[in-house]
Amino acid sequence: MSSKRHSILPAVSAGPKPPVHFSSSITIADSALLTGTNLITISSESVIHPRAKLDSLAGRITIGRRCVVHERTMIGAIGTSGKVTETAVTLGDYVTVEVAASIEAGNTIIGEGTTVGVGSKIGAGAVIGKHCTLTPHTEIPAGEVIPDFTVMYSNGMRRVDKRGVADLKNKGQARQIDVLRRMIPSNPAKFT
Amino acid sequence: MAPLNPYTYIQCPCSDSASLGRPSDATSPTSAEADDEDNTFDPRAPRANFSLYPLEYLLYCEDCHQIRCPRCIAEEIATYFCPSCLFEVPSSNLKSEGNRCTRSCFQCPICIGPLSVTSIETPPSDPNLLAPDRAATQHSTYSLICSYCNWSSTEIGIQFDKPNSIHAQLAKIRNGGASRLTAKERKERRKELSHRGGEAAVAAAAAAAAASETSGGQDMDLETQFANLKLFYNSQLADPNAGDNGFSSLGDLGFSSPSSLSRIMNLYTGGKLHDPRAKSKLGAMREAITADEGLLEPDLDESSLISQLHRSDFLDTASSTQVCSQPPNLGEPHLHGAARFNSSLRPAPYLLRTKRSKRCPVCRHIISKPEAKVQTTRFRIRLVAGSYIPSISIRRLNLPGSNGPGAPAILGDLLEPLKPVHFLLTFKNPIFESLKVTLGAPAKTPGRFPSKVTVLCPQFDIDANTDVWDEALKDNDRESSGRSRRRAGTESQFQVEVGKIWERGRNWVSIVVEVVPASLKLEQGQDLLKEDEDVLEIPMFVRIEWEVENGGDDATTGSGRDKDQKEKRELAYWCVLGLGRIKQG
Repeated sequence: MSSKRHSILPAVSAGPKPPVHFSSSITIADSALLTGTNLITISSESVIHPRAKLDSLAGRITIGRRCVVHERTMIGAIGTSGKVTETAVTLGDYVTVEVAASIEAGNTIIGEGTTVGVGSKIGAGAVIGKHCTLTPHTEIPAGEVIPDFTVMYSNGMRRVDKRGVADLKNKGQARQIDVLRRMIPSNPAKFT
Repeated sequence: MAPLNPYTYIQCPCSDSASLGRPSDATSPTSAEADDEDNTFDPRAPRANFSLYPLEYLLYCEDCHQIRCPRCIAEEIATYFCPSCLFEVPSSNLKSEGNRCTRSCFQCPICIGPLSVTSIETPPSDPNLLAPDRAATQHSTYSLICSYCNWSSTEIGIQFDKPNSIHAQLAKIRNGGASRLTAKERKERRKELSHRGGEAAVAAAAAAAAASETSGGQDMDLETQFANLKLFYNSQLADPNAGDNGFSSLGDLGFSSPSSLSRIMNLYTGGKLHDPRAKSKLGAMREAITADEGLLEPDLDESSLISQLHRSDFLDTASSTQVCSQPPNLGEPHLHGAARFNSSLRPAPYLLRTKRSKRCPVCRHIISKPEAKVQTTRFRIRLVAGSYIPSISIRRLNLPGSNGPGAPAILGDLLEPLKPVHFLLTFKNPIFESLKVTLGAPAKTPGRFPSKVTVLCPQFDIDANTDVWDEALKDNDRESSGRSRRRAGTESQFQVEVGKIWERGRNWVSIVVEVVPASLKLEQGQDLLKEDEDVLEIPMFVRIEWEVENGGDDATTGSGRDKDQKEKRELAYWCVLGLGRIKQG
């Protein structure tokens, strides 16, 4: 908790501490950043990496079961509109949000089993279907609706994934979470 | 408008039309200079685009004492290698196996990412996902998977039995999983067909052809068609009576008949018009008329493709780059409608890359030679021009007196028309001899908007590029001697003087160029400003002279003379200085 700060930058203002609703089986690093005024729900067996930032200022954030939220992600970023909605971001089950991806607030929904690639940006109100793959640095404009099993390329191309390995992928995710749980020291008590 | 950083481009002498026209005397300095006075190099000429290079792109031939650009260099390939596995491919394999990696290196046909071999497990029937694996006992198949976009070769119906030698396995499989015909199978099938054909009467040949078209013609791939055609023509050539049906003279008139072809060739080669020997030998040949002879009727019924297009998205169709990156696949059905959809694209083996050595085309000496080992990026020989000819860097000079104090010169600032500006050109000497530099620039730049150019010090010497530490130790002597770093005297420090250099250092000299940019006001009847016509570019002729010791390597020329005698070398070339954009209106 009281680790020495090595950075010369001023400390990030913590903001208001949000009300949270955690399942008992989640893994959340204590350097994760949770701010905002609305409820943040994290369901069972999900993993929040260190320095992931969840901001519920613009609405509720719900993270499904067995999700992995990587480092330096920004979930619930208040976009250009700055609108406050009831639900800001909803992640389905088995969603992976990779490093430095950012998801804007405003009824944004990400479907089950979707992978949000490194450095991707998802605009406010976008609805991503189930088992989609967003390749690194994809940008989804606000309000876009992406059907299930879509592969989005960073150059705007898209393709339908016909492998039908959703179950296998979920199984892989479960195994990965099993490993991560051992690697990341969890401290949910800090946030409640 | 994007700011413009000053640049220096050097014209390779290989594209100099003057020296091309007059081979010998154009290289001598006096005539070249005389010639260039009335024939200034125009950097805006359309041809200039192809001869101007930054210094870093140029090489230098030590034997010809000449700059060599990428256009005047003979390349030869040292090694071929796969960029993915860095495996060196012997050039003998190239002829037999083509220019792609024949190991297990593949690119995703959709996104060009590297593909990896992954085993395909059967989907778990157990709802409990964390149950221990029993997959190890099962016989598994393998597929190629792109880790970037999750494309898998199972999407086009391709699976492999073994995780190794994917290239050989892929060559045998068609899209959809059907295996490609081997030569042996093809032979057997043909035998079967001919057997059937033998039973049928000649009169029923048309019916048989129709039948074989429906059965064999549809799935006839390129390889089979070629084999069938080859067999057919071989039999035609072997059979002397095949075309001897009394109409040989008529058949000669057709363009496709070999005898008329040979007659046309005779017309061009000047041989006899009618070669009696050839005529007697080659009768008219029949063309293939059935599928087993290699005839493939184009499948013009594309309704299935059209309906597939109706059902699919634009993004499901393959782009032309995707189609072009596909390797030729002989096991495919015929080209009609091939690979128009993403679903028909196959994994592409990596194209091989090369390491090349470069030779001077005149003296055949090697100018650049990479190390043969694929993994190393070093060069054994690399004679870059930057270590032989002085580099020129450009800086805007703001004189406190004229432009008001403290106006900082920002690179990329727009130049005020008709207001004199000063630029500092710094020449840096890379060689270990002192250089004598002579500059020549036209008084007015070529083009529609001539700017006035004055090189204040067109002739100067640059000291040798001696050892840095020697210089540091000698620094005290240098101070006392007359060659101070900056011209002495505080009152004359910021004054531009004609004929004097601005500043000098260990191996560099700065001089001042005064430019009066032209006004870009368009007069009536003039065309609009073209792209980049507002860029102020100065053509400048650089001639450098230096002396080298007539050492052992030039023993042939200096054998009779004194060994210690110094030899004079010179090099002259045009360069273009891009100074900045002129403000418009």
